[in-house]
Amino acid sequence: MKWTGDLAHFPYPFKDSTYRYSNNSIPMKQPLSIEVTPSYKKEMLLKRKLLSDHPERCYQSLLHSMTGQWEIVELVIDHLVSKYPQDFSVKKENNSWIFTNKILDEKIEFIFGEKNSLPCEPLFFISQHVQEDLIYMRQRDDNLYLDAGQLCFPANWSLAFNIGMKFKSIHHPIPGFKEEGLDQRILQFLMRLEAGTPWERLNWSLMAGDRLDTSLETFDQWGRLRKQVTSENAGELVHIRVEVQKLFRLPRTNSILFSIHTHLLALEQLATNSEWVQQFYEILSELPAHIIEYKGISNYKKAVLEYLEKQLQQVKTL
Amino acid sequence: MSIEAVFIKGKRKYIFCSDEYGSRVLSSVFEHVKKEKLAYEWYHFSAEKREWLEEFLSKQKMGTFLYVVLPYSELYTVQMMAKRIGFSSDETQYIGYGEKWISIFCCRCHELNRAEEQQTELTCHQCRLKLEVSDHYSELHHAFLGYPATG
Ligand code: HEM
Ligand SMILES: [Zn+2]
Repeated sequence: MKWTGDLAHFPYPFKDSTYRYSNNSIPMKQPLSIEVTPSYKKEMLLKRKLLSDHPERCYQSLLHSMTGQWEIVELVIDHLVSKYPQDFSVKKENNSWIFTNKILDEKIEFIFGEKNSLPCEPLFFISQHVQEDLIYMRQRDDNLYLDAGQLCFPANWSLAFNIGMKFKSIHHPIPGFKEEGLDQRILQFLMRLEAGTPWERLNWSLMAGDRLDTSLETFDQWGRLRKQVTSENAGELVHIRVEVQKLFRLPRTNSILFSIHTHLLALEQLATNSEWVQQFYEILSELPAHIIEYKGISNYKKAVLEYLEKQLQQVKTL
Repeated sequence: MSIEAVFIKGKRKYIFCSDEYGSRVLSSVFEHVKKEKLAYEWYHFSAEKREWLEEFLSKQKMGTFLYVVLPYSELYTVQMMAKRIGFSSDETQYIGYGEKWISIFCCRCHELNRAEEQQTELTCHQCRLKLEVSDHYSELHHAFLGYPATG
């Protein structure tokens, strides 16, 4: 299975010729928590298989998340229906809702707010209709806690371990985050997030292989590819992984929805754009060692740089 | 956590919770309480009776002071339990002995593994993955994350 080739939808993440950790969130132009791309069907199939084969790895929730989960159902359905009316529709009569997903040819009837009217928890249900992973952060005592989440395509972290964790503790593994006071600044930014004014940010990484499911739990299956990268195969094997992350204040529970849409692009496709190659080459050459190490690129950074140099030379000789 | 039990005066009642070794650590405070004819109760701890301890502690009234002397491997759970029930830090003294244990959450199978405090690597006893102990801590699991060991 190939997950690449969607150049038109690829959210190219770079602006400058250097990259550092920062609060790179920006207000969203189109306030939508979800996006449907051409790989929708393929990804829904994969996501549903992961959810049913590995429920504990892909889904976690705490008791007090139920009201927030319903709020997410409402937000996501409203976004799907308003952005893609030809693919999704909803009929609401009082609390009786009929949600139709025409892409997958499915019709789901339930009583909004009534847990027993669905075969699973509300967040689990709605996550089966969107490519995004959905994380519910509950706000209490001036802090944000990961109280529920559906996560099928993580970039090397474990939802099962992180469930119930505070925002700063979640970000504890990132080098320099605490020392630079970034965790505190971002937390404060999030606490001020207002309903109706969602923000988004892009996070990027490199990976060897094209798996969307790079959970920490399965690292032994996908991590070893890092050792097989050469400057010859890097174009095909190495992918740039970009997460479009969106932040929505949920007004009723005063909590936050964090949605993550993961995109993969093979370096050889990135290389179809010579400005991108040039910029990415500069960024990677200059990237500090602690970020290289954290993103897991140390093993194959050299091979990737050599590959990019070759691409740049080809451009020059054309 | 202290190393020696210290008598705290002016409490309505004193509870001594320990195993056999711990009762020796508590003996001087216990003698003191007896001499002054203060109210006290012993709870002889064993891991199987942990649930009864919760019930026992929940029944105590305000003004009760709690001494706990146990192996580190048990102390933490009792400490959490007492805190949950409502014992504050000025109503308790905890003394641990023996090897200090920490829990390591296996990143592959989610099993909790016991490790010594200084340990940096271990093999998950359930799925056999070699783990590297990190300082990434979950309060919910009371455990540190074990990442796949590299190299
Ligand atoms: C509120 C919801 C958020 C959640 C649940 C979340 C969760 C996470 C997790 C689980 C990681 C991986 C940590 C690990 O290695 O175990 C991470 C990494 C990171 N997060 Fe967040 N995050 C959130 C919001 C943000 C925001 C708003 C920012 C910045 C403005 C941010 C910046 C970062 C950065 C820079 C990394 C390192 C990524 C890399 O180098 O690849 N996060 N986040
Ligand atoms: Zn294991």
